[in-house]
Amino acid sequence: MLSAVLRRVFLSLLTLFFLAAFIFAATEILPGDALDVTLSADEMAMMPPERLAEMKRDLGLDRPAVERLGAFLLGVAQLDFGRTIISRAPVVDIVAYPLRNSLLLAGAVIVTALPLALILGVSAARWYRRPLDNVVSTGVIVGYSVPEFVIGTFLVMLFAVTWPLFPATITASTRDPALTLLAAAPLPVATILIGSIAYLARILRVGMVDALASDFVERLRLMGVPEWRVLLLHALPAAVVPSLMATALYAAALVSGIVVVELVFAYPGLGQELVRAVTRREVHVIQAIALASAAIVVVFNLLADLAILALDPRTRM
Amino acid sequence: MTQPTRRDTLRHALGGAAVLGLMDRALIGPASAQAAPRRGGTLVYAQCSGNRRGGDASNTRHPYFMIDLITRSAYNTLTWVDEGLKVVPELATKLEPASDKLDVWDVTVREGVLFHDGREVTAKDWAASFELHRRRNFASQQIKSTEVTGKYGLRFFLDAGNSEFPYVLAEYDNVVMPADDWEKIGMTGVGTGPFKIVSADPQRRMVFERNENYWRKDQPYLDRLEVVNREGQMESAINGFRARQFDAVLNIDPRLVRQLQGEADTDVVPATSGDQAVIILPKHPGSPFLDVRIRRALAYAIDREALQRIVYGGSRWGWIGNDSHMAGTDPMFVARPVGRDLAKAKALLAEAGFPNGITLPTLYYAPQWPEMGRYFQVIQETVKEAGITLSIEERPNDGYLKFRQGDADVAKGNYHKFAYTAVGPRNPGISLFRMRGANNESGYWSGPGHDRYMELYRKAMVTPDAGQRKTIYAEMQGICYDEAPAILPAGRNNILIKRPTVMGLKNHPQHWSVTWDGVWKA
Repeated sequence: MLSAVLRRVFLSLLTLFFLAAFIFAATEILPGDALDVTLSADEMAMMPPERLAEMKRDLGLDRPAVERLGAFLLGVAQLDFGRTIISRAPVVDIVAYPLRNSLLLAGAVIVTALPLALILGVSAARWYRRPLDNVVSTGVIVGYSVPEFVIGTFLVMLFAVTWPLFPATITASTRDPALTLLAAAPLPVATILIGSIAYLARILRVGMVDALASDFVERLRLMGVPEWRVLLLHALPAAVVPSLMATALYAAALVSGIVVVELVFAYPGLGQELVRAVTRREVHVIQAIALASAAIVVVFNLLADLAILALDPRTRM
Repeated sequence: MTQPTRRDTLRHALGGAAVLGLMDRALIGPASAQAAPRRGGTLVYAQCSGNRRGGDASNTRHPYFMIDLITRSAYNTLTWVDEGLKVVPELATKLEPASDKLDVWDVTVREGVLFHDGREVTAKDWAASFELHRRRNFASQQIKSTEVTGKYGLRFFLDAGNSEFPYVLAEYDNVVMPADDWEKIGMTGVGTGPFKIVSADPQRRMVFERNENYWRKDQPYLDRLEVVNREGQMESAINGFRARQFDAVLNIDPRLVRQLQGEADTDVVPATSGDQAVIILPKHPGSPFLDVRIRRALAYAIDREALQRIVYGGSRWGWIGNDSHMAGTDPMFVARPVGRDLAKAKALLAEAGFPNGITLPTLYYAPQWPEMGRYFQVIQETVKEAGITLSIEERPNDGYLKFRQGDADVAKGNYHKFAYTAVGPRNPGISLFRMRGANNESGYWSGPGHDRYMELYRKAMVTPDAGQRKTIYAEMQGICYDEAPAILPAGRNNILIKRPTVMGLKNHPQHWSVTWDGVWKA
């Protein structure tokens, strides 16, 4: 068991290393360096070569790529992503709170979505091809298909404008306490929740249908085990294990993938910061956000792996 | 010829406004004429035009880096420009020229004004504050030095005469802060304004609370004021207003007016004028705008009426510029003698060696106002008809100033850009000074036309009589028409929306000069 855990941790760290190297190469080496993406085409065309060389020197871009990669990786290991190009502010200061806020939003969604998706998925599988299953399956397809900005706008019109129950736009500060932010964010949470429940319920339903149709469930039923025990204590764990990885990756993707929702509601998260960084051509901020997003995927993946190791003895071989 | 007295000079210099007579009323009486204002409550407003200096500023308590330019929430200046663009005193009780050349000015600052930390404001604080302003504020760089002449007495020494100097003192940067080194002053966010800063989230939100010791008796009426930045997020601002999160939204897109006018509980409050776009025509080596014929061709090719109609929704919400920095509502404004003239534009291009049309460099703009994307699309389309191909590119507000200005040293090759900037309506003296050759907004214009322009400017600045200045200013605007050092095609009227229960809130042509002192909630 221990060696299996250590192996997965090592693989995760290796993945992170390659991801960091890839992000560096993608943003600073191919097809140009940080200066190329910061300057406009006109600037590049008009600037004398010696001035360009001077600017490259100022930004350390005249050093060999391998040397710069080494410095970048060393910085990443120390959580130092450098400074912004425009104002020379530390990148970590800019990214830290938006990252916390996005984790909060994603966490609130997952904590709410999981039990609801579980109830819907299990119920639909229990009454497979019956009216309840049809209703859940249809609802899941609709919920998963409608874009989040449509859901968000609809919820704002309904619960903020028509019935002013919740804030339409978030005015809380970036560094406000977590509870203050969450209290201001019921509509963003609800917007993401609809799609999340749909996605997770669909996965669980499929897993449960497979589990309930398997031989061991049939054997349990023949043995006279009560249906609720079959459902919750035997079929559900069997269905959850294959869903864990998909759930973990979905949760990780939420952190960096809710850009549209953050923009619709002016939520001070990572997505909004990423859009800002891209428009300002702040390469170092983009690198930090990309790496943070990748790290979250790797960490969630690792957690799912470890959970599967714990739940399924066959994987420990 | 009789020499004018100092008081006469000042009166003339201020365009005939009886400033000294207004002093007491402006200083002692409440700013609002509303009956029986109510104390208390919180007002939250969204601002759709942010402070471009924000960037990654970590200290937005400093008056130069607040979320919006309404520095009078927390600070005060010596004078203020009212909604009719007339200068009136704020913390000055006396203001007069001390020399006939109008290059030395004496100010008596108001006694008994307290900073938010309880200290009394003296002339020393003003002198220290102007050590920063004369280095950083564009309009104050003419101040060579200041001298403290008493506890409440201050003398300004200018590099040349300026008959409109009281307007300079009204600039939103020129606030008083507790005395400190100029490099450190203002960092604490302590001012004298109606509200004290409670918290500030850079580029996002600021919260203020009532200053109990405010120098205007019984004001402000509100207990709390909050500003939320919704720059570039017009929909979010309107949603917040509709959901009753915001009591007011400042500087909305003029094209939303028709829709919002029909909504319940919504007052649309226009100002008489507002910002206009300056299209900077760079004159660095290799620039096509070194040729005056190309500049003039572009000026003739732009359909200004289309800008007014399509971008602003008509003359009620937008106005046509004359390629000077003057606002259309200014009594000294002179309209362009000839409007759009495609034949003339084509002829000028042909004369310049482009009979088949010209492709200009990329025109950059930042979305400082919600309508700017639309504005430049209209320009792009309308100049096509004259054979001018124009590509446009939007850049973010953050860092835009530095981007468009480039390096002053042309040897570095990082030239100033063919780019947009916004300029607000001010008195003619400040407005026309902006087209000086040394200023980026003129594209570093030079030549005989420029020299004549500056000669006229210097003459106007030492001409106390407003009528005579008007003649000089007309000639200066004529030079702008002939030479087109920059193009200023059209401007907006600032528009805010508010709840009918928000009383005493007036809109202002200078979006930075809105005041909250007399605002209350019914």
